[in-house]
Amino acid sequence: MLKRLPKPQAMLQVYAVIAFMFSAWTMVAFSWKLRTWLLTLNIGEIFTLFSYAMFTNLLESMIVLLLFLAVSALLPPHFLRDDFIVRGTILSVGLLGSLMVYLNLNRTYGLENTSTLLAGPIVVLLIMIFLLAFSSKFRWLRSAAIWISDRLIVFLFILLPLFVVLSIYVIARNIA
Amino acid sequence: MMEKPSLSRRDFLKLSALAAGSAVAGASQVLSPEPLQDTHKPNILIFVFDAMSARHLSLYGYPRPTTPNLEKFAERASVYHTHYSAGNFTTTGTASMLTGMYPWTHRAINYRGMVERTLADRNLFNLVGKEYTRLAFTQNLWANVLLSQFEKDLDAHPPCDLYSQVVQSLFQPDDLKHDRALAYYVFQDFLNLRSEEPHPFPGSLLIGSTELSQALITSDRKHISVDYPRGLPTVYDFAYENAAVFEGINRLIQNSLPRSLPYLGYFHFWSPHGPYNAHKNFIGIFQDDLPYHAKPRHAIAGDDFSQEDMQNSCREYDELIANVDAEFGRVISDLERSGVLQNSYVIVTSDHGDLFERGEIGHASALMYASVTHIPLMIRAPGQGQRTDYHSMTSNLDLLPTLLKIVGKDVPDWIEGRLLPGFGGQDNASASRSLFPMVAKDNPSFQQLKRATFTLLKGPYELFFFTGYPKHTDTFELYNLQEDPDELQDLFKEDINTASQLKEELLDAISTANHNFEE
Repeated sequence: MLKRLPKPQAMLQVYAVIAFMFSAWTMVAFSWKLRTWLLTLNIGEIFTLFSYAMFTNLLESMIVLLLFLAVSALLPPHFLRDDFIVRGTILSVGLLGSLMVYLNLNRTYGLENTSTLLAGPIVVLLIMIFLLAFSSKFRWLRSAAIWISDRLIVFLFILLPLFVVLSIYVIARNIA
Repeated sequence: MMEKPSLSRRDFLKLSALAAGSAVAGASQVLSPEPLQDTHKPNILIFVFDAMSARHLSLYGYPRPTTPNLEKFAERASVYHTHYSAGNFTTTGTASMLTGMYPWTHRAINYRGMVERTLADRNLFNLVGKEYTRLAFTQNLWANVLLSQFEKDLDAHPPCDLYSQVVQSLFQPDDLKHDRALAYYVFQDFLNLRSEEPHPFPGSLLIGSTELSQALITSDRKHISVDYPRGLPTVYDFAYENAAVFEGINRLIQNSLPRSLPYLGYFHFWSPHGPYNAHKNFIGIFQDDLPYHAKPRHAIAGDDFSQEDMQNSCREYDELIANVDAEFGRVISDLERSGVLQNSYVIVTSDHGDLFERGEIGHASALMYASVTHIPLMIRAPGQGQRTDYHSMTSNLDLLPTLLKIVGKDVPDWIEGRLLPGFGGQDNASASRSLFPMVAKDNPSFQQLKRATFTLLKGPYELFFFTGYPKHTDTFELYNLQEDPDELQDLFKEDINTASQLKEELLDAISTANHNFEE
């Protein structure tokens, strides 16, 4: 079974992309709300809130990585496993990017404009499919995907300890 | 010192389970066996009906017989005829009622807003003191934000969806057992997407997207039931039947009050807030041709509904009020029969009203016409035998000081309300008193109020000041509510003396309120 999974280094690089995207979104949203919270909550409460957000980020990022690994294990190797860094990065950016577009369009246009709301993520997903299909042909695309995942791995040195410590804090609060 | 009978959350949940069923007899096993009770202090039961405008209650002279049961209740109560909310939506109205402060003081002015942190202890539940067993329940998520902020002052705080039938949300506050007070901020204010918010920014990509997709799928779907042909009454995340909610509260009071004396219960019902989905027995009960004063669309109305739409919604709203009235009548009769009201003050009020005029339905815009600020207030004292009517202008800021007086506490000097007439307040103070309801939903909470609708109510007059709205800024309207209760004739340019006096007073008050805040 392990043979059907990508190499640990490849998994780590793709996870770096996933974790970075989730936590970047959360941190922007957090800083957006922080000003109000500072006036209505105390520092301890804000810290707890941040801990819950990071715990959620950990769960979300693990879910997406496990999804990729499941796909990698189930599909023939050349679909994902053999080129996991490049394709995993494109998939991560495409899928999570489409969610970002989806939520941002909702911020701008609201629920009433369903077609606009759906058009944005669909375009992103189509681009992702196109890039996935031609990922082996575009050298620049491969280089870009590898470069991105390689650079983002540095954030794991911050994110992983943060995830672990804050998750322990959240779990401890709920079982104490 | 007597030991305070406790009703822990665990007790409460057990009690709720009992209340939901019919095993009332089992309640004795739930609470502590024979708690010591202070029977000298009166119990307080507050019933708040969300978005119930006094202008639509036959109790106050509305032509449609919407409230026969409230009228019956009023036969042995103090009835306040000119009672105003300090705001035009839940957050401001409820926060002012529970803190006795104006919105520009407590700063809970935005959707899902909260009271400024340093003022959060200035709430009813804290001020009545720990000798009371304090239970607060609301179906309104935004009122629940405030109750969560006051969590440490509550002995029991059941979840909003306690008696609901359909719950859609991925997470509920009770999922975080030890962080229940923070759960709102974690789930509702941060991670989740609140589709009703103007520009929602959920903190979680996956949860936010899932909630958005769910909102897209279910936005037009109603929870139809045989008894509710228009769909079940719905609060964003859940749907319910009024009969079940009122019956649940009835059993909850009957089970918990006698064992937790003295008792303060706050029960904030969502109905008759929209959607106006009444029980089938109330649909079509008003087939009259109610006189309707057409009013031109207001420049800051959020919508542009036709007259027909507004009239139809008005009729549906009245039907829902009649539905709520019937349920309330049933609960109050049951409570009276059971004897739990013997030493209890019962208060009936609302947080704000709704309006059906000038292109607007409901209370989502920044319009502050009387239909949305004029709210009911009735107080029945223990053993009260007859009705007393008060016509002086009163505010929902007055409820807190009055309740403090009732429970024998000193009234702090920071409270901006006064004692109500009949409880130490003057009945003829109307002419000299000024009230300042306001709405500033889009104004940052802790900055100067630059985008808002301010109201000054004084004597028979009502002055509006609209500021910061594109294409409608720094404009005034003046009405004489005694001669023109429908607010049809703007006197601002006709009665120049009154207009200038009131304008000066209102601008002074705003300037004082803005003094300590940055631009």
